[in-house]
Amino acid sequence: MVDKEVKEVKEVKKVMIKKMFVLAACLMAAGQMGAQQLTGRDVIQKVKDRPDGDTRYGELELTLIKKNGNTRQRKVTSWAMDEGKDTKKMMFFTYPGDVKGTGFLTWDYDQIGKEDAKWLYMPAMKKTRRISGSSSKTDYFMGTDFTYDDMGQRHVDEDTHKLLREETKNGHKCWVVESVPVDKHEIYSRKVSWIRQDCLIADHVEYYDKLDKLHRVLSTHDIKKIQGFWTILKMEMKNVQTEHCTVIEVKNTQYDLKIDKTLFTVAKLEKGL
Amino acid sequence: MKIERINAYFGRFAEWLLRLRWQVLAAFAVVIILSVIGMKRMVTETSFDDYFIEDDPMLVMTEEFKSHFGNDYYVGVLTQCDNHFTRENLTTLRALSNELLDSLSYADKVTSLTDIEFMAGSDEGMTIEQIVPEVIPADGSAEMDSIRMRAYSKPHVARKLISKKGDLSWIMVKLRTFPPDSVWKRQSTVAPDIVTGQEVEHIIKKPEYASLNPKGTGMPYVTYCKTMYIGKEMGQLMMIATVICIVVMLCMTRSIRGMIAPILSVVGGLFITYGIAGFTRMYVDSTVLMIPTVLSFAVAIAYNIHIFSYFSGRMRIHGERRRAIVETLREIGWSVFFCGFTTLVSLLSFLVIPIRPMHCVGIISSMSVLFVLLTSLIVTPVLLSFGKNKRPMEGFTEESDTRWTKMMVTLSYKVLRNPKKIGLSFLLVCVLLCIGLYRIEAAFDIERTMGMKVPYVREVMDVGRSELGSLYSYDLIVEFPDEDEAKEPENLKRLDRLQQKVLGYKLTKRTTSILDILKDLNQTLNDGDTAFYRVPDTEEQVAQELLLYENAGGTESEYWMDYDYRRLRLMVEMPDFNSAQVEREMERIQADAEAIFPNANITLVGNIPQYVTMMQYLVRGQMLSFVISILIIGVILMIAFQSVRVGLIGLIPNMMPAIFVGGYMGWMGIPLDMMSATLLPMMLGMAVDDTIHFINHSKLEYNRTRHYRSSIRRTFRVVGVAIVTTSVITSAVFSSFCTSACTMCVNFGLMAIIGILSALAADLLVTPILVKNCKVFGR
Repeated sequence: MVDKEVKEVKEVKKVMIKKMFVLAACLMAAGQMGAQQLTGRDVIQKVKDRPDGDTRYGELELTLIKKNGNTRQRKVTSWAMDEGKDTKKMMFFTYPGDVKGTGFLTWDYDQIGKEDAKWLYMPAMKKTRRISGSSSKTDYFMGTDFTYDDMGQRHVDEDTHKLLREETKNGHKCWVVESVPVDKHEIYSRKVSWIRQDCLIADHVEYYDKLDKLHRVLSTHDIKKIQGFWTILKMEMKNVQTEHCTVIEVKNTQYDLKIDKTLFTVAKLEKGL
Repeated sequence: MKIERINAYFGRFAEWLLRLRWQVLAAFAVVIILSVIGMKRMVTETSFDDYFIEDDPMLVMTEEFKSHFGNDYYVGVLTQCDNHFTRENLTTLRALSNELLDSLSYADKVTSLTDIEFMAGSDEGMTIEQIVPEVIPADGSAEMDSIRMRAYSKPHVARKLISKKGDLSWIMVKLRTFPPDSVWKRQSTVAPDIVTGQEVEHIIKKPEYASLNPKGTGMPYVTYCKTMYIGKEMGQLMMIATVICIVVMLCMTRSIRGMIAPILSVVGGLFITYGIAGFTRMYVDSTVLMIPTVLSFAVAIAYNIHIFSYFSGRMRIHGERRRAIVETLREIGWSVFFCGFTTLVSLLSFLVIPIRPMHCVGIISSMSVLFVLLTSLIVTPVLLSFGKNKRPMEGFTEESDTRWTKMMVTLSYKVLRNPKKIGLSFLLVCVLLCIGLYRIEAAFDIERTMGMKVPYVREVMDVGRSELGSLYSYDLIVEFPDEDEAKEPENLKRLDRLQQKVLGYKLTKRTTSILDILKDLNQTLNDGDTAFYRVPDTEEQVAQELLLYENAGGTESEYWMDYDYRRLRLMVEMPDFNSAQVEREMERIQADAEAIFPNANITLVGNIPQYVTMMQYLVRGQMLSFVISILIIGVILMIAFQSVRVGLIGLIPNMMPAIFVGGYMGWMGIPLDMMSATLLPMMLGMAVDDTIHFINHSKLEYNRTRHYRSSIRRTFRVVGVAIVTTSVITSAVFSSFCTSACTMCVNFGLMAIIGILSALAADLLVTPILVKNCKVFGR
């Protein structure tokens, strides 16, 4: 009886082990299949879907460095809030003195073809101006080497993506993705991004101009988890053709703060900090 | 050292040459092959920035300017058609504008009717947009009228883009800073500005843009056109000089060898020189390369004529080829060598002029003369050694006269009989010409130097003088002691005052500064009210408006205000310029700026200040180089003739070409430019050859006869014909310059002929009188 039970237990164990092997094999196969099917678009979608809280706060230090070594510094406090797939941002300049209090409000729409809305409030004239224009999307952000697109969330399907390879860059395992813009009027003809697999943040991005010459290079540094969210604390964009460079350092980052929706309005922009 | 001993050395050298003649020819062939390899690596430059030598204050200022504001060079394209406001013409204009931005290697930004930061605003918003929309409307539609209206809505914008009638439009391409020489020379033999000019030419000549008749301008384009033109002219010049050389030598020597020898000397001189220049990556300026080229022809003919003339005489006497060669080198080798030496030394005096093309002329010309000289003394005798001996001419002795030598002897009698008449006539002419010397002025403008007959000059001048175009520009930089001062409204208002004042000057066509952006921005922010087309009232307003501009996609402010807000830039464009007038105007503008900004540092940079500085360098340097070459040649003459008196007296006839050429320039209003500035020391170097031949031989004859009259008569007989022949032939070679359409080449050719013939006149008429009356070889 006991032997029979022991035998049955052994049989069950065998079956279970078999089943586990089959399951493991299936999982591995599925995993491999998944890895094989991962496309450039999937990687960029993963990056876009990376959790970053519903609201964000940060203090930005922008340092613009010219080829001859001369620098310009600007400091900004920034609030951001997601509304569905759209993002609203409010920024106030705190440095230098002559632009202190200048506010900048942006509504960044996810929908392709819908122009982002931007307003700038100038306290010296007590005037707010909405900034628009067909070319503003490809223009540089506040005289830096970053475009508005680099700073904001670009819609995944504004480019066609191709996963080139996987490789280790700066000690991090990365997916290398080439993105070619659908709209030929974009500032770059293609960009190649090294996306870190651990945190889904680009470690290094190369932008090529219309003649396919290397134009700008983005590198990110000091990537840390804050409140459970991966956060870039320092990034550098270098225009290799003009040798102009911009360094953005982010301090005092906070996520999921309680922010009133009314902060992201023109009325609040004109009221100031 | 006595002349006889030196002559003996030359005799021994000739014997050695004859022993190793095949080896010598083989070595020459190897050197030429190596030189051809080197020539392929030669880098020619014509960039204006390259004109200044390292550490020159003007170059330092220009580099400082570039580090703050980028490249001061730009490319302009003027388009012309009946009406630009049609769908077809606007589409073509946009395509041209886009191609210039996309295809020029160094393009940074394009401003044109179809690509402009046009500020539009209302109470609600502000946008930086295009005048011409993405989709160009049909002709005659309301939308097309609206484009026209917008183009003319801001007069300060319109006057830089489109003519009043709409028939002309202006495309301005700002360029990225060119890489330093050390960078581009690693990959290419063509300078970045010439590459840019070449690309512009390629684009504007495309058939798809022909309907807009695009014409280029701007320094890179002008430099490229100049390089191409000079290259073509040089080819033509070489061809004419070669033909003259062949014809003259055939007539003179009546032998194939006589024709080949000077050509071989030129090939040796130029190939070896350019080969060395290629291997050593020496700075070579294409504009002035014509000078060493033609000079090589002239000296090659001169040296070979001397050799051939003496060789033929000896062959007539005894007919033995090898013996004649040894006698030729022994008798005249030293004179030829000495002539070449003085010429190359006087050419080296260009090194005192602190302008690189002058250094280039000095070094390349001296090297060419040296190698022509060596080839003439080494290869020509070897060439003459091949062939059979000839039967001597019966009854022909050293005392025998030909028709030409008879004429020279007659001339010697006439000269020795009329010393006072000749002396006084020369004195009178010299005094008259010396007055002209004070009227010489330097000029660098292409109209006066190149002339309107040159097609590219005519084209760029047309562009410069059109309603929209400009040809030259310069920048005035106001540098404040502290950062942020450039943003202060008080300083900006001062800049406005200065800009208005500069606009009032006759040579100013257009001015641009940060005020164009700022005032437009201020007006746009205030509902387009023209009363607000002014500098904002506070520093905060200025800073915040500029921030708005940047955020709206504006990128041009950094061209006009530096990163530290310490420097303001005012660009002044000119249609063309008159050298003397521009110098005066710039002095006044500098004084105005200093009065308006008493606490700031004012500097003028760009092409025009560079031109002015260079003109000053050229005037001072040319005088210095002339004085130095006189001193050096004087010293050489003293050493060679072992007598201070002979040296000093030998200098007198050599002053003639300088006085004749200088006087001619002054009286005829010919300006001092890169080419004419090289002429006087070069003439001195060449003229002294005749004096050396004359004095050298008369000393030899005096040592034999101890009698001045007969030694001078014998000198006329032996070297007179050679002196006249070489002068006439070198004049003929230099006359090839006169076939050019370029004013400065024609002037150069004419003045070279005047210089050579005046030197000949002085040597035949003045030198004998001085030798005899001053008893230069003792009593």
